[in-house]
Amino acid sequence: MQLRDYILRRLMVLPVLIIGVSIVVFTLTRIGGSPVGIYLSHEMTPDEVAEIEARFNLDKPVWVQYLYWVRGIAMGDFGWSGVAAAPVADVFPLKLAATMELAFASGLVALFLGIALGTYAGARRNRLPDHVTRIVAVSGASLPQFWFGILLLIIFWAHIGIAPIGRSDAAIFASIAHPTGLYTIDAILAGSPTALWDAIWHLVLPSVTLGYGATAIVARMMRSALVEELQQDYVDAARAKGLAERIVLKRHARRNALVPTVTVIGLTFGFLLQGTITVEIIYRWPGLGRWMADSVLRGDQATLMTYVLFTSVLFLVVNLIVDLVYANLDRRVTLGK
Amino acid sequence: MTDVQQSRNAAGAMTADTAFRVRMRRLFGVLQGMASNPATVIGLVIIALMLIMAIFAPWLLEPNSPDPYQMPRDWGAVRKPPGTPGHPLGTTNEGGDVLYGVIWGSRTSLQLSLMVVGSTMIVGTIVGSIAGLVGGWVDEVLMRLVDVFLSIPELIFALAIAAVLGPSFGNIILALAVVLWVKYARIMRAQVLQIKQHDFVDAARVIGDSKLNIYLRDILPNAVTPVTVQATLDMGNVVLIGATLSFIGLSEAGIAEWGVLVSEGQAGIASGRWWASTFPGLMIFLWALAFNLVGDGLRDALDPRTEGR
Repeated sequence: MQLRDYILRRLMVLPVLIIGVSIVVFTLTRIGGSPVGIYLSHEMTPDEVAEIEARFNLDKPVWVQYLYWVRGIAMGDFGWSGVAAAPVADVFPLKLAATMELAFASGLVALFLGIALGTYAGARRNRLPDHVTRIVAVSGASLPQFWFGILLLIIFWAHIGIAPIGRSDAAIFASIAHPTGLYTIDAILAGSPTALWDAIWHLVLPSVTLGYGATAIVARMMRSALVEELQQDYVDAARAKGLAERIVLKRHARRNALVPTVTVIGLTFGFLLQGTITVEIIYRWPGLGRWMADSVLRGDQATLMTYVLFTSVLFLVVNLIVDLVYANLDRRVTLGK
Repeated sequence: MTDVQQSRNAAGAMTADTAFRVRMRRLFGVLQGMASNPATVIGLVIIALMLIMAIFAPWLLEPNSPDPYQMPRDWGAVRKPPGTPGHPLGTTNEGGDVLYGVIWGSRTSLQLSLMVVGSTMIVGTIVGSIAGLVGGWVDEVLMRLVDVFLSIPELIFALAIAAVLGPSFGNIILALAVVLWVKYARIMRAQVLQIKQHDFVDAARVIGDSKLNIYLRDILPNAVTPVTVQATLDMGNVVLIGATLSFIGLSEAGIAEWGVLVSEGQAGIASGRWWASTFPGLMIFLWALAFNLVGDGLRDALDPRTEGR
């Protein structure tokens, strides 16, 4: 299959999947019954209830209600969040910025640490560093993040007392403007070293908690890719030319091993996205994940629907991009059937 | 009985016998491969200890309430540190014995994982087999459904389902079952399609075996391997996700479940009471670690190409 056809096919499947997800999400929230309950109180007469049902189109057939929901989303109306006491669309960008900042910081930790660890282990195959990396990798996939976060808090917050909780120091946060919503970027734009330090200091523990598991995924992939590359003929050729082992490793083998490692970025992204829920709860991070958790416990359906739909679309798009980049990087990859 | 039938039966019996012997030899090889990997052995030992704990829970720590899965509350001994007489791992803010939660939590986790892995494996295997065997539009419809389910991140999907159903441990089991069957469907379909192309399936068809017979005798046994690896990994994964949902607050408060206990213990860490979260969380970690180690070992042992990687 040609690369162009492959891209077209993937792009055509994407809307179908998104519509499928939206139907699943909508159906799911209707299993719990009609959402009219959140608008009702005990004093209302049946006529008033019927009036409210009519106002929100809840008296129509379910599939019509679904179309109203989709139309609302298309027009930027995601419903009312009881938890945030505001329209979902108003609060979403602020929470998203906080979550993205955390996810990106964790992703950076994972990428740099993962590639370094994977290279170190892959070059020392079946020796001690390799075994240690294997333990780190397997434990990263098994570690309950909420527990790891609590352990770090017990040590660095409750015991030693150096780590902060939350996203910022309220006074410092209020002292600068927030055009992007990303605290670190805003601090740089405002030229305030105090704010930047505050932002980074609050990011350290949450991004280590979230990044550890992702580091494991990256390190593992990097290691096996490197082991594979080191067995190729071109590595022997480079060594035979008399190149230093360090150069063979860094300039030749590692560069090629990075190509398959790209594929796990999609996987890592899903991991980070899901992880933000518990990490935000533990560190009282004012992002999407904690908002979702509160919404789940308090029956805030509009937020729940938006969150599930949004994360799924994001997940699909990131995976699509990763697949396309990979197909482009390595033409040997067989596409499709 | 005609000659043809007779000779066919004889041939059938012989292939079945040979196939059995080949399979046994292969199984022995796999076990040998697993035993030679220290990480896998550690995993197996942890699993064995967890199972012993779960099975013998009533003898290890006798329940003194009508519902043993409910944490007993000793209001006379709240916030006791580890080493307190009668409470070797300490107590929670609400006077729950941490050791009781650790031991009975293993039973809760075993139930959760067996029910979820068992049901998803059966449903996924059936759906994947139908898709692979029937093909055509049936395959198309089923696989698009699988694709949609796989588009929603696992934990978020399970969280949403459990939220809609209402907070209870039973609903967490149901939510995980709804989310996780798709993996088995996909694995099974790929296996069926691959195995269908082999000569021995053609051979069985030529001698007139029924489709069901071919499926049960030739296809299913050969597809067991990847399904087993996935099931082993899921035994750990399911407890990890289930505990996460419990921690967020989707179980009944006060049940003997590790995630619930970590959540209950969280309130005390500011005052230095580290034990109520630490021990139950350690159990979740060990449980997931053990099944991951064994799952990896199993995969390596079954696939000689990955040896030493």
